[in-house]
Amino acid sequence: MAVDKQKALLFGGAAALRLLLFTVFPGLPSLLAGRVEVSTPVTSFKRLQEGLFLYTHNVSPYDGGLYHQAPLLLPLFSLLPNPSHHPFATNLVFVVVDLLSAYALAQVAQSGTAAVSRLFSSSRRDLRWSSAAIAAGFLYNPFTVLTCLARSTSALTNLFILTAMAKASQGASITFTLALSFAAYLGMHPILLFPPLLILLYDARAAKSKTAPSAWSFTITHTLGLTAVSGGLLVASALLTGSWDFLAATYGVRLLLSDLTPNVGLWWYFFIEMFDSFREFFLGVFWLHAASYMPGLTIRLHKQPLFVACTLTGIFAVFIPYPSIADAALYLSLVPLFRHLFPLMRYTFLASAAVLYASFLGPAFYHLWIYAGSGNANFFYAITLVWSLGLSVIVGDSLFAALRDELDVERPELKGKEVRRI
Amino acid sequence: MLSSLSLFLLSAFVALASAASDYHEQLLLRPLPQDTLLASFNFRSNESQTSFEQQNFRYVPRSLGQILQHAHTQELHLRFSVGRWDAENWGQRPWQGSREGGTGVELWAWIEAESEEQAFARWLTLTNALSGLFCASINFIDATKTIRPVMAFSPEGDHRNAPNLHLLHGTLPHEVVCTENLTPFLKLLPCKGKAGISSLLDGHKLFDASFQTMAIDVRPVCNLDDGNCSLEMEQSVDMVLDIARSKRPRDNPIPRPLPVDQIECDSSKGYNAHDTCFPLNKGTEPGWTLEEVFGKPLRGSCPLIEDSDDTNSVCINTPPERTVDIKSDGEFRETKFASDTLRCYKLPVGADFDLVLPEQKMTTGLNRPDPQLFAARSINGHGQERGSTQAIIKNPSTTEPVEFVYLESLPWFMKPYLHTLRAHVDSSSESPIKETYYRPALDRHRGTHLELRMVIPPSSTLTLTYEFEKAILRYTEYPPDANRGFDVAPAVIRVLSPQAADKQGIYIRTTSLLLPLPTPDFSMPYNVIILTSTVMALGFGNIFNLLVRRFVGADEVPTTAGGLKGILQAKVAGIKAKLGRA
Repeated sequence: MAVDKQKALLFGGAAALRLLLFTVFPGLPSLLAGRVEVSTPVTSFKRLQEGLFLYTHNVSPYDGGLYHQAPLLLPLFSLLPNPSHHPFATNLVFVVVDLLSAYALAQVAQSGTAAVSRLFSSSRRDLRWSSAAIAAGFLYNPFTVLTCLARSTSALTNLFILTAMAKASQGASITFTLALSFAAYLGMHPILLFPPLLILLYDARAAKSKTAPSAWSFTITHTLGLTAVSGGLLVASALLTGSWDFLAATYGVRLLLSDLTPNVGLWWYFFIEMFDSFREFFLGVFWLHAASYMPGLTIRLHKQPLFVACTLTGIFAVFIPYPSIADAALYLSLVPLFRHLFPLMRYTFLASAAVLYASFLGPAFYHLWIYAGSGNANFFYAITLVWSLGLSVIVGDSLFAALRDELDVERPELKGKEVRRI
Repeated sequence: MLSSLSLFLLSAFVALASAASDYHEQLLLRPLPQDTLLASFNFRSNESQTSFEQQNFRYVPRSLGQILQHAHTQELHLRFSVGRWDAENWGQRPWQGSREGGTGVELWAWIEAESEEQAFARWLTLTNALSGLFCASINFIDATKTIRPVMAFSPEGDHRNAPNLHLLHGTLPHEVVCTENLTPFLKLLPCKGKAGISSLLDGHKLFDASFQTMAIDVRPVCNLDDGNCSLEMEQSVDMVLDIARSKRPRDNPIPRPLPVDQIECDSSKGYNAHDTCFPLNKGTEPGWTLEEVFGKPLRGSCPLIEDSDDTNSVCINTPPERTVDIKSDGEFRETKFASDTLRCYKLPVGADFDLVLPEQKMTTGLNRPDPQLFAARSINGHGQERGSTQAIIKNPSTTEPVEFVYLESLPWFMKPYLHTLRAHVDSSSESPIKETYYRPALDRHRGTHLELRMVIPPSSTLTLTYEFEKAILRYTEYPPDANRGFDVAPAVIRVLSPQAADKQGIYIRTTSLLLPLPTPDFSMPYNVIILTSTVMALGFGNIFNLLVRRFVGADEVPTTAGGLKGILQAKVAGIKAKLGRA
């Protein structure tokens, strides 16, 4: 019962904090919704409001350059009272979304698959934080709080990603397929999480039933399931909006980057400055690059699928076209699941210093460029480079630690000794 | 105070007298407050529909006529404008604003076509051809600057025989109207600026005016009795000249202060002394002549005008008290209308004609009719990220509510949020918006098109606001002067009620807006490509280096000396092994 009380306090405190911030600073949500670090063209709440307005006035929101979010969000949010007059219901939805995400994350932590999977068991598996501590790390992460206050729809994508992870680690096939389909439907790039999470699900099912199911039929069933659910969502969207225009306006914009609004990622400034004749080529290269990590990581670390999924969210936070701090918040909340790897990481100080440096200087340099006029675009661009570098150092360093940890199990005689890569 | 007819009625009154003739021209002069002078030139030519179809051109110029035929254009309106009409001081606009355009170039036309695509293709043909004819960048009116207005414009001509008409409208607010646009404009006239009132038009004075607008309107007109149709082409120029500025000689255009002993001082001022002087406001109308303000003499009548007794080419609208002297060697005739407030002159043929108005202290003035609406539009907010637009529209009438259509045509990189649109009238809490038409912008394909039908109650002010976001563009999409900002076309207001007396309608245009956009650094595309690629390469290299290589203990690695020496030793060992095997 003590644990339950602790969790209730944790979740209650997080909800109270968010509601308090919503009530005490009523201007804060719209301020944050306008910040480029928090809201991107594909997740901004203000654009969602515009889409809702057009949708409720029978103008197709996809016949315009502002709304790039999924069609099914429209009927969902049109049920709520108008957020510019009665914001409480909408705010409550986003608070609940955060709490559900934290609950899913706590379930992932509870399952213990981070350190012990079917084929692999870390020698440091006793070194771990409680699920409550990890949920607290998500709920009280300032990046998560800011995302929630800005009411950015990436909070929903994060919820579905975390739910998919939780259900995969519990071996719940149907809810896993549903959650991942929704995540992919809302954000497109989460589809890349399917192979590692499928392995995770397979491991969980194999551990449950004692006789491992056939790998091939398992894969085919779930792939078909995912295709069917995603296809169903897309058809439902097409029926709802009356045409397939939404594909170009949602996924097309992510693929072709027609909206160059600044964000914390690497794409926007690169494609502002890109020569027109090379634009398509580099779009292809960038997407190929972002997608190339999935097969490599999945094959090399197939014994630790949860780690692969976690690392992929880190890669998304750096290399997708419209990243925001919400993506970084998701990754940084997943990293504490791998507490047992922390002793093996080498650049913790460097990476955390870079991330902190970028978090504080980013808004300042953006102000200098856009409002004060005393700096130019390079100021903010330089900060996004540091931010990306800091996150990619964490990704690379944790990957090194995971591989080193695997080596300690394969060759216990090398434990604590210096190693080389050949 | 004499009551006077409105300016519009005066011009209509004079114009109607000879509407049936094949060619007609008229200049209406009207002194405005603050020592300014409004000059409205109007040239009208007719061509019967049959001779137009047979390409038998007399007064309608062949160059324009063939473009219209090629582009299947039934009705055309083209405007070149500079400056702002100061409605607070000058009152109602000439022609009720129907012959006026927004700053820069404005073009709208009714095109006959089977489908929307065909209409747009013909529209592009039209804009490209007009661009060549008028030496203007009209060819830059592409899909992003073209809209299809729904309520704001209605055809002036009779289009009973043309069912598939498409209205297209485009603006170029950035276009600088200049002499090179005036020259082709004058060439379209039968007398080509050599005789008649067009001989007064001079680029130096026209483009130095406080406000000027050149208009070309082509429309089919049908006679109701016999059903005969003809093509009517109207060219008009309206300009507001600052008299003192226009009178400056061309060889010495810089205004210099007079020596202090030549200025008449206001001795009632407390600080008046031998070395301090406040110029005396004499309260007189300034003296001027046509040749002084236009810089060229009026070279008599254009001989192509149909000669009849009621042909009056030059009219001046002043109180009867104002002295107007005529200087001419030829034979002219003066007629007075509207209780002597309108004096009209039939010009002599082949002899110069000049009006001389001496400096005069006036005791009476003319009533200046107020416009139906006052409109002003501005951008609020700071920073290059977002802002809001505010339009303030005032109804000065104390009795009549005014119904109007408000049309905005915004560039695609200015992204309005329609859910933030608020219209508020200070005298009532009821929403003034009766009808909305909205077509959102598509990035790089089309601009925003917003039309609102609204009603303002008497003596109230309407405030319309909406927020917008500024897009950041690719660096090749910025003009060379990127930090100057981008021009946003003026809003067009069409007054629906009180109704206009004729089909031309009542229009008001706001000024254009200057929209600063965020700019990237234009000097470093290579640096950006290199730095971004470096960060990506660090991430990719680090991760794939870990993934593809294998860990071994440090003591298991074959120990070779590092550096150049080690490499050389390894090579030598390799070669030795090969030689040994051989």
